[in-house]
Amino acid sequence: MSRFFERYEADTSHFFDEVIAQDGIPRSHYDKLLHRFGKFSIDDVKARREVVNIFFRNQGITFTVYGEEEGVERIFPFDLIPRVVPGNEWHTIEKGLVQRITALNEFLYDIYHTQKILKDKIIPPELILGSQHFRREFVGVTPPLGVYIHVTGSDIIRDREGNYLVLEDNLRTPSGVSYMLQNRQAMKRAFPVLFDKYKIRPIDNYPQELLRTLQEISPGSRREPNVVVLTPGIYNSAYFEHSFLARQMGVELTEGKDLVVNDNKVYTRTTRGLERVDVIYRRVDDAFLDPLVFRPDSKLGVAGLVNAYRKGNVTLANAIGTGVADDKVIYSFVPEIIKYYLGEDPILQNVPTWLASNPSDLKYILENLGTLVVKAANESGGYGMLIGTESTIEQQENFAELIVANPRNYIAQPTISLSRHPSFFNDTELYGCHIDLRPYVLYGKTVTIVPGGLTRVALKRGSLVVNSSQGGGSKDTWVVDE
Amino acid sequence: MLSRVAESLFWMSRYFERAENTARFLDVNFNLLLDLNKITPIENPNYWVALILVTSDKDRFNKLYSEYSAQSVTDYLVFNKNNPNSIISSIGLARENARSIIESISSEMWEQVNNLYHYLQNITPQFVHNDPYSFYKEIKNASHLFQGITDNTFSHNEGWDFIQIAKYLERSDNIARLIDVKYHMLLSEAQSQPEIVEGSEDIIQWMAVLKSCSALEAFRKVYLSKIDPDNILQFLILDRTFPRSINFSVCAAEDALWRISGSSRHRYVNNADRLIGKIEAELSYTAMEDIYAKGLHTYLEDLEQRLVKVGEQVHLTYFAYHTPDIESSDIAEALPFTGVAGGRPNWSQAQQHQQQQ
Repeated sequence: MSRFFERYEADTSHFFDEVIAQDGIPRSHYDKLLHRFGKFSIDDVKARREVVNIFFRNQGITFTVYGEEEGVERIFPFDLIPRVVPGNEWHTIEKGLVQRITALNEFLYDIYHTQKILKDKIIPPELILGSQHFRREFVGVTPPLGVYIHVTGSDIIRDREGNYLVLEDNLRTPSGVSYMLQNRQAMKRAFPVLFDKYKIRPIDNYPQELLRTLQEISPGSRREPNVVVLTPGIYNSAYFEHSFLARQMGVELTEGKDLVVNDNKVYTRTTRGLERVDVIYRRVDDAFLDPLVFRPDSKLGVAGLVNAYRKGNVTLANAIGTGVADDKVIYSFVPEIIKYYLGEDPILQNVPTWLASNPSDLKYILENLGTLVVKAANESGGYGMLIGTESTIEQQENFAELIVANPRNYIAQPTISLSRHPSFFNDTELYGCHIDLRPYVLYGKTVTIVPGGLTRVALKRGSLVVNSSQGGGSKDTWVVDE
Repeated sequence: MLSRVAESLFWMSRYFERAENTARFLDVNFNLLLDLNKITPIENPNYWVALILVTSDKDRFNKLYSEYSAQSVTDYLVFNKNNPNSIISSIGLARENARSIIESISSEMWEQVNNLYHYLQNITPQFVHNDPYSFYKEIKNASHLFQGITDNTFSHNEGWDFIQIAKYLERSDNIARLIDVKYHMLLSEAQSQPEIVEGSEDIIQWMAVLKSCSALEAFRKVYLSKIDPDNILQFLILDRTFPRSINFSVCAAEDALWRISGSSRHRYVNNADRLIGKIEAELSYTAMEDIYAKGLHTYLEDLEQRLVKVGEQVHLTYFAYHTPDIESSDIAEALPFTGVAGGRPNWSQAQQHQQQQ
């Protein structure tokens, strides 16, 4: 076994380790990787780190951190040790995600049409109708193919026993897929030999699949529908990704001011006049899409866009109002949603969740703030959360006030010790870092998932937060066939 | 092509060219003063104030510094972030524009502008002071490399033409300013010391003007060693083959504009084409006597104004297309060297920070 791995302490009595099994023996799908790394000296690793760093820097792969001095761009931290997912495990994840996303889409269709699930009292109506992401203006509006969630990125974690659980469904504007693609490119440059040894399923076709999906949902019958990406602009943290995807798909990257609506049709402003747009892959929140309908102060949107959408002259991906289904409160009902619409048992389980809006749950939450993870229902990116075990009494008291003031807005979950994966801290030593997995699901005429996803790593020692805005990094994810 | 993309290509190119010209002005001034150090100390403020006049923001400079010296002028023109035309600001803005259209330009172009940006972040005033020659050469080379990369990795279609328009408008404007300022500086000195008008100092200074346009060798091939102001002005203003003459630059900008619109000689389709065509036609049929008759300073100032008008019309024709109301600030952006930061306004910056899942 490798020198690096000889010194690696998996701590399997407290955590599920992705590489080392409970008995201290490496899992078989990591054999070739360990063998290869066994031949590396520290200098070898450093040399490969350099290859990867140059690749990322030259590609301009950075993200912007808010709240610090303006325009701080950082290279997204990348760990050299890839995560290996055996084909059979992936099969379960894939089936589970297809099931989940299909059910969530049916749920959205229902919520924006007959609201059968509310009438059948599976979900308390006030939770839906009172959600800040429920858009009552769109009740009765049917998007092409009846599909609402064209691109999703569910966060999947593993518990102590190694079960795959869904932690979050990101049904609005999930980001990170460009890192998935670029991580693979970087790894191919740094470790070509390893690619020869494993049968790694390719993911490079993601941009083509995305474009195909977006073309499938075009409202009109034009043979070459005009697809554009809509970004908030260069100061957005995920701007690199927006431009990357536009480039990879070969479509225009637009900002709100590039688009204009005339007679309920959407056009781009070009040097040669106006050009019709059929599909907008928008990475702008609902609230900013159209100043005439949503926030009137929005500088990022397009006046008249929503009417064009309602008239069926343009498709938005994802549809407006999908946030109602990825609310962390609604999340707790997803198992029921799957059962209700599909009549099946969920293949991927949820993390147990307490709702502060439920009086008995609220009591439990307030009594156990020190051990629970409390999250705001509508925040993302690791903002607005309290990790009980890492918090001070003062923080807990502050949160208690927030929760009591607005119980609908908070949920709590047990602190899950996410599975750990050996990762390089400083290229000399391996340390078990907590990881999650975000596969990307495309939904047009069919549901497509490229095999893999973004594995995010909490690179702060002991930290459980994997979000890039909170010091997280990522590693390449290999779905391998034996 | 999206109007916004065309606009960013335009400004990326324009700011890059501006940085190169600023580097040229500074480089030549250092060289010149080394040649002249028997007659005048390197800190002679007359030589440094000229550089501030070329970039025409004397007031802003005076707010920040108390004297014209090698150090203060270099600091202002290279490093000062409050000076929108400093090399570091220009490259920052070129990069900002490139970044906003990163999917439209070639990755090699992005790498080049990004490399130069990061290089500049690590440069100290001390470094420039110790070895100005290497530093300015680095900037000039980086600009040449960028242009070469652009020529060879970016399709020669509409976007490329916008890059050319910006580059040549900026260049012709810069040359006009350089000649104007230098000519008057030399003229006023000559009047106070009539006996050395034809002296070696004068010739060295005129050679410096040529050098800052990389024009000395090309000039000699045409005029041999007859370095007198008439020939030099003729060469820098009216020569049609030298790439850093005004006439050449105007022709190149005109070609690019016409390629975009499909205009041709005797037939224009928009005001940008009309105005550039008019400048080009006049330059083609101008002799030095005409320029002197009008007065060199008046002539150059008029030319600069008209180049600004071309920039405005490019903006109105292609960038502001179908914008219902054009804010006056948008037009101000099209003005060169006026101290307006150009690039794109940041008013939506806070909203762009919306959280991504």
